[in-house]
Amino acid sequence: MTAAPEPTREDTQAYLPDFCAAGTLFIIVLVAELVAIVLTLAAHEPQGRFLIELSKTSIFVLWLALLGAATMCLFRHRLESAGKTRAFVISFILLEIMCLVLSEISWQLTRIFGESTIIDDSHGTFILRTFAISSIVIALAMRYLYISSEWRRSIVVEAQSRISALQALIRPHFLFNSMNTIASLTRTNPSQAEEAVEDLSDLLRATMSNPKEGSPLKQELEIAAIYQRIEKLRLGDRLSVRWNVAELPMRARIPHLTIQPLLENAIYHGIELLPDGGEVVVSGKRDGDSLEIAISNPVAEGKERDKQGNKMAMSNIRQRFDLAYGSRGSVDIDEGENRFRVTLRFPLDEGRE
Amino acid sequence: MRVLIVDDEKPARDRLRQILDDEDSYDVVAEAANGREAVALAVEYEPDIVLLDIRMPELDGIETARHLNELERTPAVVFTTAYDEYAIDAFEARAIGYVLKPVRRARLAAALEQASRLAGSTLRDVASQAKLDTQRRHVCARVQGELKLIPVTDVQCFVADQKYVRVDHDNGQDLIDDSLKSLASEFSMLFVHIHRGALVAVDRIKRIEKSADGKNRVVLRDGSHVDDKELIISRRHAAEVRRRLKES
Repeated sequence: MTAAPEPTREDTQAYLPDFCAAGTLFIIVLVAELVAIVLTLAAHEPQGRFLIELSKTSIFVLWLALLGAATMCLFRHRLESAGKTRAFVISFILLEIMCLVLSEISWQLTRIFGESTIIDDSHGTFILRTFAISSIVIALAMRYLYISSEWRRSIVVEAQSRISALQALIRPHFLFNSMNTIASLTRTNPSQAEEAVEDLSDLLRATMSNPKEGSPLKQELEIAAIYQRIEKLRLGDRLSVRWNVAELPMRARIPHLTIQPLLENAIYHGIELLPDGGEVVVSGKRDGDSLEIAISNPVAEGKERDKQGNKMAMSNIRQRFDLAYGSRGSVDIDEGENRFRVTLRFPLDEGRE
Repeated sequence: MRVLIVDDEKPARDRLRQILDDEDSYDVVAEAANGREAVALAVEYEPDIVLLDIRMPELDGIETARHLNELERTPAVVFTTAYDEYAIDAFEARAIGYVLKPVRRARLAAALEQASRLAGSTLRDVASQAKLDTQRRHVCARVQGELKLIPVTDVQCFVADQKYVRVDHDNGQDLIDDSLKSLASEFSMLFVHIHRGALVAVDRIKRIEKSADGKNRVVLRDGSHVDDKELIISRRHAAEVRRRLKES
């Protein structure tokens, strides 16, 4: 149970269910009753006394369960703000303390009213048994809630990353500028306009496909090259890209659309802001079973364009790398004085073909 | 109508020219690939309208428009942009002419028809709303009918000089029309008042020196041609100058 630093959006997402809701309460009652039945069945009572024993156990278990639900309902918001792992640990301790207090109260009550038939145990054994059983049940419940919240979170992250992958590629600025270029070329250079339309279509098609297991590196590099061709029409001699990727195994898998957005960033935040342009360098290295791809661009002195946008694209790629590789992959940013560099590291996976 | 086209991308310039060549009432007199060229060509050709791309390296469209305002015959301005949600909001709010790329023939004609001259203060507001630099990267001096752009990073100090403000920079001295007050607020991050009539670039100050008559004086880096008397720190500004020096 490691609490990884999560993006803010996930933090606001609830991981504890609403204990005050009718549906949740119903399930709690149901589970409590099942626990009571299991306990009674396991107790080896003489025949005919089953229902009596069950009702005694039920009263006690339900009392614990409902008061536990009430406690959680009361403290839920405060617990949520404490962070995931802490929330679960605190809830566990809170519920345990409550169980101990309640079983002590039960013991004292039965002693006052003198009906020793309700609880047959000695004081110590009773408290100990309650404590042990409740620990196991609460721990199981917590584990269940934790896993289901993790599962929900991963679904949300995946959906978000899919949407933002789309947004990352079709930057409106790029789309409209390309259209303008094509409109211009239809008169001056129709065959170039034709090529540009084909390239743009290929690029859009690539954004709409979404291969789950990632794409082969070869395809990723092709998409980036198509993108480069379109931008080249617009920027002319200002844009040059050097590809040092011969060392990379072309069948290696990489999350879909990672290189092209980085090239786009390099152009949008780097080359476009330089009057004389510059050179983007894409270089790849293989080190045993791990691959490294670095993309770097020159930066204009003292000019920051829309840093927010850049961060969004980066966190998007980071998110998808996280999803695909966990701790085995990394996305590093190196903001030098004259060059901006992004380095991707990920394990080699040649796919199943 | 004489039109000057300014865009850093050739296909974008071609597109505008293609459309305007079909129109009888407009005459494209020149094309510029950046803001600096635009200012020079505007002086040379005296266009009635300048079509200005917003996103250009170094001098963006809005700063270029602010410099064009210094011309004797200030041209009307129409901005062009592929996508700039903030800038477009700002233009709409102030009825400033703009066209979206890909450029539509009808839309361009309408924008040119309504094109108007823009006040410097309007442009500054637009820049801030569009999340572009509100701080210009150059100041603009008029020298024998030409506009001279002086990079703000070259400026050592601004000194009030009767009606004008004198700029002392790495390549000499020039007079500009901006008021010292507006310069102080625009470049507050880079400059500090050493007395009421002078702003000095903080990173150009080498040290503060006490002269024989007990007055504090700023010593500038690399051979400045500023009169020593102008660099005496007034008592009122001394604390602020020291604070800014310490920060840098």
